[in-house]
Amino acid sequence: MSQEVLIRAEGICKYFKVSGGRTLHAVEDVTLDIHRGETLGLVGESGCGKSTLGRTMMGIYTPTKGKLIYNGEALDLHSKKDRFRFAKKAQIVFQDPYASLDSRMTVGSIIEEGMVIHDMYDAKGRQKRVEELLDTVGLNREHANRFPHEFSGGQRQRIGIARALAIEPEFIVCDEPISALDVSIQAQVINLLRKLQKEMGLTYLFIAHDLNIVKYISDRIAVMYLGSVVELATSDELYSHTLHPYSKALLSAVPIPDPDKEAQKSRQIISGDVPSPINKPKGCSFCTRCPVACDKCRESVPPLQEVRPGHFVACHLVQPGQV
Amino acid sequence: MANRVLDIQDLHVSFDTYAGEVKAVRGVTLHVDEGEVLAIVGESGCGKSVTAQTIMKLNPMPPARIVSGTIDLAGHDIVKANERAMQKIRGKDVSMIFQDPMTCMNPTTQVGKQIVEAIKLHRKLSHAEAKAEAIRCLKQVNIPNPEERSKQYPHEYSGGMRQRAMIAMALSCDPKLLIADEPTTALDVTIQAQIMDLLVELKEKINTAIILITHDLGVVAGVADRVAVMYAGKVVETGTVQDIFYRNSHPYTQALLKSLPSPDTTKEETLTAIPGTPPDLLSPPVGCAFAARCKHCMQICLEEQPPEFQVGEGHSACCWLLHPDCPPAEERGDQG
Repeated sequence: MSQEVLIRAEGICKYFKVSGGRTLHAVEDVTLDIHRGETLGLVGESGCGKSTLGRTMMGIYTPTKGKLIYNGEALDLHSKKDRFRFAKKAQIVFQDPYASLDSRMTVGSIIEEGMVIHDMYDAKGRQKRVEELLDTVGLNREHANRFPHEFSGGQRQRIGIARALAIEPEFIVCDEPISALDVSIQAQVINLLRKLQKEMGLTYLFIAHDLNIVKYISDRIAVMYLGSVVELATSDELYSHTLHPYSKALLSAVPIPDPDKEAQKSRQIISGDVPSPINKPKGCSFCTRCPVACDKCRESVPPLQEVRPGHFVACHLVQPGQV
Repeated sequence: MANRVLDIQDLHVSFDTYAGEVKAVRGVTLHVDEGEVLAIVGESGCGKSVTAQTIMKLNPMPPARIVSGTIDLAGHDIVKANERAMQKIRGKDVSMIFQDPMTCMNPTTQVGKQIVEAIKLHRKLSHAEAKAEAIRCLKQVNIPNPEERSKQYPHEYSGGMRQRAMIAMALSCDPKLLIADEPTTALDVTIQAQIMDLLVELKEKINTAIILITHDLGVVAGVADRVAVMYAGKVVETGTVQDIFYRNSHPYTQALLKSLPSPDTTKEETLTAIPGTPPDLLSPPVGCAFAARCKHCMQICLEEQPPEFQVGEGHSACCWLLHPDCPPAEERGDQG
């Protein structure tokens, strides 16, 4: 894998206005590089801002602060032209294959729509391309004339993937693409995504909360908590040398489908719930639940710093040189 | 031997729809003993929730219909029981917790009051005693400040707390059987871990029988004593957790376990996906329901449903491969 940075988020913040004049801090100062051809896993609990970050990184949301740099070129996401150009490069596969496909359009026209917008090929060429794409994702060519309701969840997700691939993007955000699918179907979709990546050299931002799957599919993993990235490392490094207290708790909470290992495992349970992103704690966002929090954690926000080669942690208690 | 709390024999449940009869449950035989956790695992539409709802007769009849079979719950014949009798059984002998605690509680009533309601319905206690009992129940599921919390409304609770309150409510009348229908699916992993620990703790403390319905094999490995694997309306394999995870003999169980990446799976390995999709229960296949997706499929699998074969003590599976006359893999030309 090359170390060439395909897309870089620099100090991205995304705030939403909510009722009562308050502000919801969904994503707070995230700086993240995604290398060409890699899969970056993004994990965290619901409400931690992982989907918001994903959507900001592909241009659906305009960041409140910060910028996106694509292929070394800063994007002006307020300009329509830049956004349109970027939309050709970045696509998304949504979580819910039932809600993300227009039920009144045929599968063929769903897949074709992006190519029409971006003025690719002529009508005949597009039809040929739709057929190729259906082949690629493992559906039949005849399926182009059918409607989404005629398909099962796994098949719909394949349609969603074909739609994303249609305009030949380089970067795909997979926003929990398998969470809505049955266990026996999940592996089919995961294998398909990996095959496509190998064949087309795609770059993925893979958002999920199933940590076993994320570990399997990702090259590097970023752990998010309450809008910030708290730990970032290669997936093997993250699992073997977990450093941030939240990542430790998160990883130990994942049930392993193996009763003997489950029995031996020491589970580190963190009490309490995630604080509200409207009213965040001062200092480190995890300090209210952290078992080792000290006074410093309650006062200042720890920066994300490199503590081992390629391993970044945002914690006052984990300093470079101490590890 | 521990007391048998629930005994289901050859249960068939169908739904009459415009499209025809959907055979959701097609011959389920199960039992649960006191102080034991039975996990029912399977994909959506395999009939695991319908089985659980039928135990409490919660599914509207019609369209649902118990075609045949018996359900014996602590001496009550559930199949024959009318709605009046069921009202006495629900809450007292069997209670249920659901996937989404927000939609299962009354949003306009204080949590404590909702528990008091259940207690007064089934136990002869004064209002003050019932109130004290409700607070004890909340305390039992580790809710901090139960006195104050009991006066709050469900929306003031977080997701994990709500699920705890649901469990408190379900246990308030000391039911003999607790059915947990996907209790952790809507929760985050760290909260899921808290609830799983609570279930294990309660099982040891109050000796209730628990049926845990889930599709998450990780949760099963952590909590269950015995497992029943369901596919297309049938129990295809049942045994202890150890049997199912280490000595499994049904190809569906094996494929399901193989399709999950474990923490040790390396990136070079491809996941073994199960091809195809589950059958349509409007017209279930004549033979084994898994045959179309099974890599060991033989001629007989397509023609006749496999009976149950004993594999070990308390471990059985429905698969023709276990028949004593089944030729070895090489002779069958089995690629698997």
